[in-house]
Amino acid sequence: MSPLTTTVQNTGTGPLLRIAGELDYSTAPELRELVTGLPLEPGQRLVLDLAHLGFCDSSGITAFIVARNHALAHDADITLLAAPGPVLRVLRVTGLDQVFSLAPGQDTRTERAADG
Amino acid sequence: MDIVSRNNVTVTGPHDAPVLLLAHGFGCDQNMWRLVAPALAGDHRVVRFDYVGSGKSDLAAWSESRYSTLDGYARDVVEICEALDLRDVRFVGHSVSAMIGVLAAAAAPDRFHSLIMVGPSPHYIDTPGYRGGFSAEDIDELLESLESNYLGWSATMAPVIMGNPDRPELGEELTNSFCATDPAIARVFARTTFLSDSRDHLTTVKLPTLVLECSQDVIAPREVGAYVHAAIPDSRLVTLDATGHCPQLSAPEATVAAITDFLGSRS
Amino acid sequence: MTCRTGPGPDLPEGRRTAHTDAAFTALLEDSAEELYESAPCGYLSTLMDGTVAKINTTLLNWLGLTRDDVVGRLRFTDLLTVGGRIYHDTHFAPLLRMQGGVNGIALDIRQADGGRLPVLISSVTKTDHDGRPLLIRTTVFDASDRRAYEQELLRERQVAEEARRRAEEDRQRLQEALAVLQSSLLPAQLPQVPGMEAASHYHTASPDRLGGDFYDLFPLDDRRWAFFLGDVCGKGPQAAAVTSLTRYTLRAAALHNPDPVAALTTLNTVLHERYATGDPRYCTAVFGVLEPEGDTVTVELASGGHPPALVLRQDGHTEYLPTPGGLLVGIMPSAPFTSARTVLGAGDTLLLYTDGLTEARTGEKRELFGDEALLDFATALTDTAPRQVVTAMTGLLNSFGDGLDDDTALLALGVPMTDPTPASDT
Repeated sequence: MSPLTTTVQNTGTGPLLRIAGELDYSTAPELRELVTGLPLEPGQRLVLDLAHLGFCDSSGITAFIVARNHALAHDADITLLAAPGPVLRVLRVTGLDQVFSLAPGQDTRTERAADG
Repeated sequence: MDIVSRNNVTVTGPHDAPVLLLAHGFGCDQNMWRLVAPALAGDHRVVRFDYVGSGKSDLAAWSESRYSTLDGYARDVVEICEALDLRDVRFVGHSVSAMIGVLAAAAAPDRFHSLIMVGPSPHYIDTPGYRGGFSAEDIDELLESLESNYLGWSATMAPVIMGNPDRPELGEELTNSFCATDPAIARVFARTTFLSDSRDHLTTVKLPTLVLECSQDVIAPREVGAYVHAAIPDSRLVTLDATGHCPQLSAPEATVAAITDFLGSRS
Repeated sequence: MTCRTGPGPDLPEGRRTAHTDAAFTALLEDSAEELYESAPCGYLSTLMDGTVAKINTTLLNWLGLTRDDVVGRLRFTDLLTVGGRIYHDTHFAPLLRMQGGVNGIALDIRQADGGRLPVLISSVTKTDHDGRPLLIRTTVFDASDRRAYEQELLRERQVAEEARRRAEEDRQRLQEALAVLQSSLLPAQLPQVPGMEAASHYHTASPDRLGGDFYDLFPLDDRRWAFFLGDVCGKGPQAAAVTSLTRYTLRAAALHNPDPVAALTTLNTVLHERYATGDPRYCTAVFGVLEPEGDTVTVELASGGHPPALVLRQDGHTEYLPTPGGLLVGIMPSAPFTSARTVLGAGDTLLLYTDGLTEARTGEKRELFGDEALLDFATALTDTAPRQVVTAMTGLLNSFGDGLDDDTALLALGVPMTDPTPASDT
């Protein structure tokens, strides 16, 4: 059972959800529940800060898709911020890098070329 | 599997003396022999053991299928003889063990010298023309009383009863531990014993046999002793003036004397 | 409990005790004799052969017998039921002989009116100076309530046992059903493809859960064959339903139009339509067509969000067959799928796998195994025949131990080195 930590911050443009730890089959449901409970107004942007996400498998991907569906259902946008190398790789392989808007992190640490 | 530890085999007496194999019956374990073993070990190699499921035997080796027939117990006896390479065994069987001995001797005839039956009965339930002493309802009632009396046995204590070296602080002096066993196992032993019918096997006994009975034994009444004596061709019947079913505990000197006398006349 | 009948508490201690004793004695009508006879429990003393030598009134009342009926005439065992008598002779009496005392044995005593009283019996042996037993002293307690309670507990335990046994049976049946279901999601055996060899392997991370990986190999016509391999998101019955739908949709789509991109597009439409709302269900998949041409086989494939296939050449060279840009199948109403092409010659093998392989966690730091490590491993293999490749990969999977927590499927398709001996196994 790997721990997942999430913190929500409300910015002017919409909720910023920081995700740290590991996203896998056991922790993804937690994220899904959290994300679908976030209030969103039309035109807002849901940002998922992935800078400290250590591991992400297909259940994590599903959770991102759920987040995206939630945003779309509320006429809001979604951005994945500072995805670490391994997560970027998965997004690339699955073609989701064309579906999600990705933004690099401010910290140069997040731009590591892990195994890409 | 190591038979000696599986059956908690203990051996006393001079190494090269004739072998006396003491087999307990339903109820307790090899401790039943504690008042007669020292005297017998003077000039015999006395081998005592617990059947799997009784005493300090390895309960993990117990299976209902094997120990639901007397043949399963007879196999314990034969396996012990093989493990220790026992020859010319003078087999002493108490209660149902007398019949177990008959089966063991039939399975491994070369290993046995003679049979000593203490309180034997080949069949406990009355049938037309045969008095065993009990009705089927009586046996059911026995099985019920087994359920109510665990005699201090408990699943958590069992490893200690088996002498688990990891818990020395609990020591060996557990009350009632001599007759305590898993009630489920006791139930199977009881059913196997009291529902068995070994009458047909008696006539096949070729070994010299001593039938040792008590004058007042509810479980092996006089009629049964007479029946067994009559059925076994080369047998001697000795009746001890004693009450109850366990003369090796209630009249140990007389028991030793009867056994020694028989063995002396048959060596 | 002190009974203040005399002078008050201002008396000195010694005077007060003496006074209490006197008052107590004055109250007492009984002698030791009466204490014995009217005790709230039964008392009994017997000779070593069980003959009753002394018995108190309480016990006689419980039995419904007179003293004359019992003393010197009956044995202790005569007061018991038959089953109790057997128990006494096989357990109680031996214990008494070996220990000198027995405590709290549950038995029934027979009453003169035919009734039975459940009791608890304790006995102790009186011995002489030399330790020889002389007589047995027994106490009998009425255990009616306790016995009723015990019966209740016993009955409840039996009920619990039965429930547990039935639950175990149910669990077994479920396991069997799952196994049957799981095996229906994959081909029982790979078919024999003329001029090719095929091998596959499916590794389940947990036997209790239906896995989401799938693969298949089937003929399109008398020349061409189709294959696919993929991974449905999630596990369990819902994922299995998607797997089933995926498998049969791809098969049907391929027979209609074997173009790999078209097949995946059809699958995408089907999955998206079905699972548009609510719980997103999608899969990753590779779909391909094999076309034998003389000594070689042309492979045309398309991928939807799936890790790239690996090509192992007979000369030891290995490379990925990249298909960048293909999207997961089923999450968007229309999705791009990327195609790729390669030609397999004698001794070449195409390996398809699911991400359980590359995402296994290895080493002390539990790092992802990764694409590069897989490439290196494949390059090091000396025998590139499909069966050997699958065996080597299976060995690799097993070496991950519990670092491998996802299901993994493998499918290897190759052209044999020597004369084609169609052989395939799972």
